[in-house]
Amino acid sequence: MAVAETKKLSKKLEELSKLIRAEIPWEPVGPTPMPDIPDIRSWDMRLLKTYQPFYAPFCDLCCLCTYGKCDLTAGKRGACGIDIATQQARVVLLACLMGCSAHAAHGAHILEHLIEKHGRDKKIDLGESITIEAPHIRTVLGLKPETLGDLQIALEYVFKEVGHLLDSCHTGQEGSALDYESKALHAGMLDHVGMEAGDIAQIVGFNYPTSVADTPLVDMGWGAIDKSKPTILVSGHNPATSTEVIDYLREHSLEDQVEIAGVCCTALETTRYSDRAKIVGPLSRQLFFLRAGIADVIMTDEQCIRTDTPQEASKVGAAVVACLDKAMYGLEDATDMEADEIVRRMVSNGEHFAILDSAKAAEVAVKVAMEIAPKRRKEWLAEEEAIELAKKCNDCAMCEQVCPNLCSIGAGITQLAKGEFEPLRVLFNECIGCGKCEEECPRHVPIFRLMQVAAGNETWKARAGRGPIMDTEIRTVGAPITLGTIPGVIAIVGCSNFPDVDDVADMVEEFAKRKYIVVLSGCSAMVAGMKKDADGKTVYEKYPPDFEGGGVVNVGSCVANSHITGAAIKIANIFAALPLRGNYEVMADYVLNRVGAVGVAWGAYSQKAASIATGCNRLGIPVVLGPHSAKYRRLYLSRKEEDDWQVMDARKKELVETGEPSPEHLAYVCETKEKAMPMIAKLCIRKNDTPQGRAIKLNHYISLYKKYMGAGLPEDLHLFVRRDADIPLVYKKEVRAHLQEIGWQPREPVGLPTYIGTYPSKVSIDAVIH
Amino acid sequence: MSAVLPRHRVNVLTGIKSARLVEDAAECANYIQKAKRPLLVIGPLLLQSQADGKLLLEYALDLAKAGGIPICATAQTRGKMVELGVQPDCVYDAVEIVNALKDPDWKGVRKEGNHDLVMFFGIRSDLGSQGLSTLKHFAPHLKTMTLCKHYFPHASYSLTNFKKDAKWQEFLESLIAELQKGG
Repeated sequence: MAVAETKKLSKKLEELSKLIRAEIPWEPVGPTPMPDIPDIRSWDMRLLKTYQPFYAPFCDLCCLCTYGKCDLTAGKRGACGIDIATQQARVVLLACLMGCSAHAAHGAHILEHLIEKHGRDKKIDLGESITIEAPHIRTVLGLKPETLGDLQIALEYVFKEVGHLLDSCHTGQEGSALDYESKALHAGMLDHVGMEAGDIAQIVGFNYPTSVADTPLVDMGWGAIDKSKPTILVSGHNPATSTEVIDYLREHSLEDQVEIAGVCCTALETTRYSDRAKIVGPLSRQLFFLRAGIADVIMTDEQCIRTDTPQEASKVGAAVVACLDKAMYGLEDATDMEADEIVRRMVSNGEHFAILDSAKAAEVAVKVAMEIAPKRRKEWLAEEEAIELAKKCNDCAMCEQVCPNLCSIGAGITQLAKGEFEPLRVLFNECIGCGKCEEECPRHVPIFRLMQVAAGNETWKARAGRGPIMDTEIRTVGAPITLGTIPGVIAIVGCSNFPDVDDVADMVEEFAKRKYIVVLSGCSAMVAGMKKDADGKTVYEKYPPDFEGGGVVNVGSCVANSHITGAAIKIANIFAALPLRGNYEVMADYVLNRVGAVGVAWGAYSQKAASIATGCNRLGIPVVLGPHSAKYRRLYLSRKEEDDWQVMDARKKELVETGEPSPEHLAYVCETKEKAMPMIAKLCIRKNDTPQGRAIKLNHYISLYKKYMGAGLPEDLHLFVRRDADIPLVYKKEVRAHLQEIGWQPREPVGLPTYIGTYPSKVSIDAVIH
Repeated sequence: MSAVLPRHRVNVLTGIKSARLVEDAAECANYIQKAKRPLLVIGPLLLQSQADGKLLLEYALDLAKAGGIPICATAQTRGKMVELGVQPDCVYDAVEIVNALKDPDWKGVRKEGNHDLVMFFGIRSDLGSQGLSTLKHFAPHLKTMTLCKHYFPHASYSLTNFKKDAKWQEFLESLIAELQKGG
């Protein structure tokens, strides 16, 4: 038996070695190339020991099989034996798998599309400033991808693992919440591989900007769209078709005659391809724009698209082309139909179609838009009309009861009826654009159209996404980030389920002016630009686009999130010279203990956000979420004065009880923006900080606390002051007095902090010494 | 099982154990007075003023004073409390205090042992509902109560959905008066 197992293992290793071309010695292959579910489990369990899962069940029941429904309240188990904690972890894993699959399948579709155009052997070249082209694929798989075909190897690995993980969600499988968490962390890690493969393919295949920081500023807001022209709206995440539309317009010299605008991540992708494309706004503006009727043709691709797009389009006489098999809406598949016949039926009969051939879909969209646009009315309501319509509202508050963001919409409408637009404009900033209020209104008040009038036609600028952080930038900032003199990297990412849209620009402003590096992606990258200062400038116009202290960097769409986490890996690999190949634990340990990076998903709503965040967590990056995100059911929280803050000092090879909760949490929900500000600064603190770096970080923590939380010092400040030299100069007197009062005692900083050596692992302590 | 729907539909309960509806201030005071180690957790919604100009926070402080109840301030609530001359017994954010409360061995804010009744007042409704769900499932050692103007099914005891703020304020004033009587 043992002999048979050895042979099987050897064969598996042999196949794996072939896949990752292990014989090419660009780096030695580490302990976990292409890891299976159990391979990094020990690391997960170490994380989960300090950052224990905190469950907030969104539902008391399990409804997944015909044994149920099973009530799991107050210690009850389901018919299969599952308890409420394990059920929450199982649902979180399912969410992560949906998110991971969405990105990886997007990547796979794009790869297939681009391989058809350019061939499998198309070289990956991200420009002269990027040599570590795929930090996740190199770290997780141990493969250095050189061609588009190599990216397929990465995605095939992801799909294989996703299959195993999904299997574990079946009834009568995993019985441990912690093991489900380890699996969710595995799915999160895979997600970053899938995102990276997808975005590298896009950069290479579509010739997106790369190795450049100063990408163009593009127009944003529905007011930026010239509604006198035929307008095509691209919606979703996958640019396979929107790029074809631009090609078609270029080839037919129609660029000046047709507007192309995007909503959600396809907007960001499209502006990476052409700076003449416009950004309507984030996901929360999708239904507003559909109902405005400005778009003549709506092209949907995948993820975060309204599932009622054809119905909404029909209401305003717009046409729909569903471009991907992920969402075909029950429409007739016209992929094999003649383009002119599709156009005829769309124009004459008002039909919508699914067209899965990107070039044909592009041709049809342009032709239909040009034919139907002159016949369509695209007028906003006049203010006087809006006031009259608002008078129908009797403030019954039905709208408020169904609002997921808990907005008092009726109050705004009744004010509008009196001619006051400002309250509704404020509500518009809090609106997540779901439309449930309008559906519920017994008097059929057209709430969206009224909000649109209140919001006006303001336009903004957003910087086009730039893809990976350059190796040259990593070399410059590696030392100041790990020493703490650049106080942190704040990645503000994800969807637009914000408590208030303005929060994001406020966060960017606060941290950029304090010389943190601020990185943005997805809908957050858009809304960061949707607020102007007194001089009429957005944060993209005020701050440099470089990955440096005080820089504001838009990496791109959802899949570009992999470049943010990839930058953290690059710091370990390029700056600290730690080998990354098949060496995930060492990379994650380095990031957790030495790279002061924090993710902020203030408007997270999707399963993709769950998997991105969970992937950040496995890599040692804490994530701050908005208040509604308790509905994700699970956080990773420590109990700062009671948990295990023991690390190994790798140089002395000694265990050290630091008592320092840095970073304090891995997945944390903040109640308000005011609370989030000091929390984000605190989560940048790392045990590796030099006294100078720690003093800078504490300076920001204290000053943000005073600014947003009221007078006094943070209650937990003493936990982060190791020696007097850590105390920021400006607060020296106040902090010393406070520390003396509570009996604080100094302690030695740890020379080279690491978790390696504090839990069972294949990795030796020497592996973390650089 | 209560037939009351929560004010915000995102908080609709899907299980079978839901809060006891408390409509009488004397009954509410009775639950509080019976508790050995009650705790009042207050959130940033209390920083809003009512029509009469009184801050909701002032009701919370009066209530804590009348019942001799320690206060945990979440988010930025502490700053205003200090302005009003009251120091909270502890400062945690909503998920942090819930995380501590679910540990039966936690020593509580006065280091006298974990609390047996926790009142929530002024936490955003969706976050509050999720926190109450955590305690319902994982903290059988304590009871929860909400003092907000809406029904929260995950609590042990909840007020009803008040259509008018004035009625809610009346309830809070009666509750404070009952606690003062008891004290």
